[in-house]
Amino acid sequence: MKCLITFRSVTPAQRAEGHLRRMGFECGIRRTPRWMEAQGCGYSLWVREVDAVSAAEQLRQAQIPFRKIYLRRENGAMEEMIL
Amino acid sequence: MIYLDNGATTLRKPVGVADAVRRAMFTCANPGRGGYPEAMAAARVVFDCREKAAKLFACQPEQVVFTTNCTHGLNIAIGTLVKPGARVVISGFEHNAVTRPLHALQAKLTVAGRQLFNWDDTLQAFEEALRRGADAAVFTHASNVFGYILPVKQMAALCRQYSVPFIIDAAQSAGSLPVSLTDTGADFIAMPGHKGLLGPQGTGLLLCATLPEPLLRGGTGSDSLMQQMPDYLPDRLEAGTLNVPGIAGLGAALSYLKKTGIHNILHREQQEAKRVAAGLQRMGIRTFSGPHQAGTVSFLPNGDCEEFAEKLASKGIAVRAGLHCAPLAHESAGTLETGTVRVSFGHDAAPWQAEAFLRAAASVNLQ
Repeated sequence: MKCLITFRSVTPAQRAEGHLRRMGFECGIRRTPRWMEAQGCGYSLWVREVDAVSAAEQLRQAQIPFRKIYLRRENGAMEEMIL
Repeated sequence: MIYLDNGATTLRKPVGVADAVRRAMFTCANPGRGGYPEAMAAARVVFDCREKAAKLFACQPEQVVFTTNCTHGLNIAIGTLVKPGARVVISGFEHNAVTRPLHALQAKLTVAGRQLFNWDDTLQAFEEALRRGADAAVFTHASNVFGYILPVKQMAALCRQYSVPFIIDAAQSAGSLPVSLTDTGADFIAMPGHKGLLGPQGTGLLLCATLPEPLLRGGTGSDSLMQQMPDYLPDRLEAGTLNVPGIAGLGAALSYLKKTGIHNILHREQQEAKRVAAGLQRMGIRTFSGPHQAGTVSFLPNGDCEEFAEKLASKGIAVRAGLHCAPLAHESAGTLETGTVRVSFGHDAAPWQAEAFLRAAASVNLQ
C-alpha cells in the first residue's frame, strides 16, 4: 500500500524525494491525479503507507512544503489523510 | 587563437559541457510538465543543476532561478526593488545591465566610490550615500573593465546596517570568487551561466532571497487554474519552457568547478593578469592594475584601442576594446574618451597565454 504526498510543483517534489531518499525512505515522483489538485497541476511523491507519518515529519523538519497526503483505502480509493 | 576575452564569455568550456548539452537534446522533454520518463529526465537535469548551484552559492534550490543571462536576472531584481523615481546607490563601476534598467525607471542615482582598487574610497563613499538615504543599492562584485574586486562583503554589511535592500551583480565573479546569498544577505544576486560558470550561452542564474516581480508571465506547469503567477519560487520566475540543454551544460560545468576549485581558478587568472600588467608596464603602456584585482586587466595603448585590438586579432590574440558596455566605469577611471583594451583570463589561464599576448602586444606597440 502506498500513499501520495502532493506538492505544488516539481521542484519541491524533487527536493523532498532527495531528502527522503537520503533518510532511507522508499519514494518516487509521479504526476498528481487531477482530482487531488485543486489548483490544476502538480507533482506527488509516493511513499509506503507505513512511512507516511514519518515522511511528513521529516519534510516539515526540513521545511520542504507539501500540500496534502492521500492514503489508498482497501476499496482502492484514495482518501486524504489528516495529520 | 589565444582567447583572452573571458570577461565577455568563456569560449573554452570543460569537455563535459558540450556532451551534457548534446545528451539533453536527445533525451530530455519538457521539465515540470509531464510524468513520463523523458519529462522526468528533463526535470532531473534541471533540479540537479539547481541543487549544485544552491550548494555553490549557499542557498536553497528553490531560490535558484534560471534566466537567459545576467542582464535578464538584473532586470527582474531591479524591477522588483526599484520603484520609479526611487533613490538608488550604485558603485562607480557598473555595467549598462545595471544602469540602463535604472535609467528606464528614472531612478535618482548616487554613484559611490570611483577610485579604482581603493576599498577605503569605495566603502567611505558607499556608507556616506547610504547615510543620506537610499531605497535600494546595486553593485557589481568585480568590474568587467578593470577587474577591480569591490568589497562586497562590507558593502552588504553596510546595506544591512542601513536597512537598504540590495542586489549584487556577480557577472564577473561567479565561478572565480566566493558568492553567497546567505552570507551577504543580498535580496538578489544575478550572474551569467556562460562566463566564469563555464556553461553555455543563453544560461544565467538569479538567486532570490526576496519574492520577485516576474518579468515574464505564462505557463509554469503548476497551479494552472490560477491566472496569477505562482507566489513561490522558482515557478514565479520560470514561465515558459526552460533551456534544458543549456541547463544540462551548466550543470556539467558546475561539477567541473567543484572538482577544480574556484580558488584555484582565481589564483591562475590573477597570476596571469599580473604577468600581463607587469609586461605592459615594462613596455611603457599605461596599465590599470592594483590590489583587489581579478584576472582582468585594461590598458591604454599608444593609438586607438580598437585598432590595437584589431592588430592583436591579426596575430591570433582575442581581446576586447572600447567601452565594454560600461561607460560609467570608464568615466570613473578617466578613460571614457579613449576606451581601453581589456585582457581577461579564464579557467584555462596559463603563463604561455600571457607570454604570447605580451610578444604580440610588443610587436603591435612598435608599429
